Amino acid sequence: MNLYEGMFLLDNHAVRADWGRAKGAVTETLAKHGAEVVSARRWDERKLAYPIGGKKRATYLLTYYQAPFDSVAALRRDLELDERVLRYLILNADSVPEGELEKSQAELEAGFAVPPPPADEEPAGRAHEEPPAEVAPAEDEEPAAAQPVPATAGDEAREED
Amino acid sequence: MADGFRGRSLPPPIASRNCDDPPIDYKDVTYLSKFLTPQAQILSRKRTGFCAQCQRQLKQAIKRARHLGLLPFVG
Repeated sequence: MNLYEGMFLLDNHAVRADWGRAKGAVTETLAKHGAEVVSARRWDERKLAYPIGGKKRATYLLTYYQAPFDSVAALRRDLELDERVLRYLILNADSVPEGELEKSQAELEAGFAVPPPPADEEPAGRAHEEPPAEVAPAEDEEPAAAQPVPATAGDEAREED
Repeated sequence: MADGFRGRSLPPPIASRNCDDPPIDYKDVTYLSKFLTPQAQILSRKRTGFCAQCQRQLKQAIKRARHLGLLPFVG
C-alpha cells in the first residue's frame, strides 16, 4: 500500500446539487479499487485559468489515500469515464501534511456547510454594456476614442513629409 | 561602451531558495505565478536565480498547476 495525494476537479453542477454526493463519487471510486481514504476535503472553488470541458469554474477536492500500487491504472480508467470529474492529478505522497486530517474531519462534522459555488456563466453581453452616464459623452454620437486628436507639431511635420 | 543590447543587464533574480526547503507545491499558485512571464511562460534560471534541481521542481509544479487549470498555458 502506497500513500497517494489525489486532486480532483469536480463539476460545479454536481457540487451545487449535492456536495456529499459529488465527493462520494470520488471516494467511492477510490474505495472500489481498494483504496483507504485518509482524508478528503474541499480544497477550493475557483475560476479556472482556461475552460475545461466547457466549464469556467470548478471545485477542487483534495484527498490523501492509501492504495495498492497496481490499482492506479484501473482507477484512472474509472475517473476518465466519470463525467463529474473534469480533471485529476494523482501523486505519490510521503506523508499527510499537518492539519490536513483536522480540516477533513471538520468538513465531516454536522454543522459544517460547504459554501455553494457561484454561477458558472458571467452575464451575457457584459463587454457590450453601455458605459456609465458620467463616462459616456452626453451629445456626441461618436465614442471618445474616435474623436480627432489635435495635431501636434510633430504630426504636422510628418504630414508635410 | 554600451551598444543598447549587450550592455543591458537583467534585473536581479526573483528569489533565492535553499535546496533543503520542502519541495515546491503545485497548489501554491501565488508563489508559482511569480515565476511566469505575462505570457505565462516559465522564467529561465537566469531570472529565477534557482539551482538546477529547484528549477526542475518549479517546472514540474507549474506544469501540474497548469494541468489542473490553476495556471494558464498562455497568458
